[in-house]
Amino acid sequence: MASPLLEVRNLSVSYGDVRALFGVSLTVEEGLIVALVGSNGAGKSTLLKAVSGLIYPTEGEILFEGEDLGRTSIRHRVNKGIVQVPEGRRLFPNLTVHENLKLGAYLPRTRAGYKDSLERVFSLFPVLRERQNGKAGLLSGGEQQMLAIGRAVMAQPRLIMIDEASLGLSPILTMAIFDLITTLHQQGTTILMIEQNVNMALKHCNKAYVMSTGHIVMSGTGEELLANEELRKAYLGRRAVTGNQGSGS
Amino acid sequence: MTILLQVLINGVLFGTMYGIAAIGLSLVFGTMRIIFLAQGSMIVLFAYLTYWLFTLLGIDPYVCILISVPVAFMVGLGLFYTLFKDAAAIEDKNVSLLLAVGLMYMVDNLMLTFWTANPRFAATSYASYTIRIGDVNISFVRLMALVIALLAAFVVFYFLKRTRLGTAVRAASADMQAVKLLGISSNWVMAVAFGIGIGLAGLAGVVMASVYSFDPNYGFTFALKALVALALGGIGNVWGALSAGLILGVIESLGAYYIGAGWADAISYAVFILVLIFMPNGIFGGRAAVKKV
Repeated sequence: MASPLLEVRNLSVSYGDVRALFGVSLTVEEGLIVALVGSNGAGKSTLLKAVSGLIYPTEGEILFEGEDLGRTSIRHRVNKGIVQVPEGRRLFPNLTVHENLKLGAYLPRTRAGYKDSLERVFSLFPVLRERQNGKAGLLSGGEQQMLAIGRAVMAQPRLIMIDEASLGLSPILTMAIFDLITTLHQQGTTILMIEQNVNMALKHCNKAYVMSTGHIVMSGTGEELLANEELRKAYLGRRAVTGNQGSGS
Repeated sequence: MTILLQVLINGVLFGTMYGIAAIGLSLVFGTMRIIFLAQGSMIVLFAYLTYWLFTLLGIDPYVCILISVPVAFMVGLGLFYTLFKDAAAIEDKNVSLLLAVGLMYMVDNLMLTFWTANPRFAATSYASYTIRIGDVNISFVRLMALVIALLAAFVVFYFLKRTRLGTAVRAASADMQAVKLLGISSNWVMAVAFGIGIGLAGLAGVVMASVYSFDPNYGFTFALKALVALALGGIGNVWGALSAGLILGVIESLGAYYIGAGWADAISYAVFILVLIFMPNGIFGGRAAVKKV
């Protein structure tokens, strides 16, 4: 078993009086692609926000390569190699594609390898090379998702956390994006992805956790969970198809 | 015809300060989402700095730029980290706005107490010098104001377009949280934008002291005019803000000449309201702002 790159121990998060996470624990081993699935409001995005440092937990620990991240800044975590692709892409529409990518490599650590990173992004997403001088806001939905992932790759991540990559994309584009995530993984990047598209996520991951109302209710390999009757009923029945439309938060 | 030309030129030269101030407001609004109403008061404050440096130490106003702008930039950083940093983190922008209003009244009244309401003017030897081209007289100090404004706009434009930090400032005006997620310090981005905004007030202060006789009550009027220029030019557009300042100067100049001096302010605010009604994204900002949605 590979060593854990990210370890979340007994994590609880509250928004004011509302508790969003109840003692969640999970591990992401180096070199794996791990999926975090569950319905809207299960606490998936909250977990991601806590790992990237946008919010601080009320209890529990987040360890990255054994270091307790505690109340360290987002900057510290990006410097460690924890990079998030936020839900809804959050590109800078008024900036060019190239400028968006440039900002991905903002920190001094990432500037040295800037040219290599840019080449890597352009070879992963050739369309971004063609469009590099165009405004990001003028890209199609799929291209915008590629740019969002590309921007994260520019930060030379050890762990990429992708929040709802398939949100708002057609089934064909969703498939294309999952293929690209797989390629990224094969190139050696550890990936933690959040998905409401449970079926696709389980097919593309090494390991998955299922979340519900702030708890982790199930975990296992993608195949195990795909074969799990209970899970199929809850997430992969007819409701899963319509459930894809919502947005997690 | 000559008179019209003279009025137009005066208007352009008169509007340069509105332009510089509007660029500053635009930067601050873009990153912090507040209308920095104390901008005019800061301009007057730095006009006093220029005036005192000139009167007491005999330092030429244009040399004062080398002192005033860096000092203003540092004051901007200081103001951000002491007053606005925590307020900027709050979702409710009224807190920051109220802070700006409080700062404005405090600075205005301190200046009134220390330096009285007497009009001041850096009466340089060249202050009344005019350049005559054909039948048109161009005031040297006002022409210099235009040159300074153009240079300032170019420097800010270059910073925003060509530097890493400038790109982050532009990105922040679209999505501050996404900027943070890239590991970029949102406070530093806001502080720099604020510092440049106040730095531009330092520059406008030099221009004010060398062109006008000013008093502490000018601040609020100037902030409002800069706000009008900002609305005309559209937010987040350096050249738009500068051009809008010049256009506002021309409108006022034309209004003052053809309708009456007392009408100048009323006309500029009427333009403000009309633009907000019919072109809420500004006369240049239509496209960019629509895309944002």
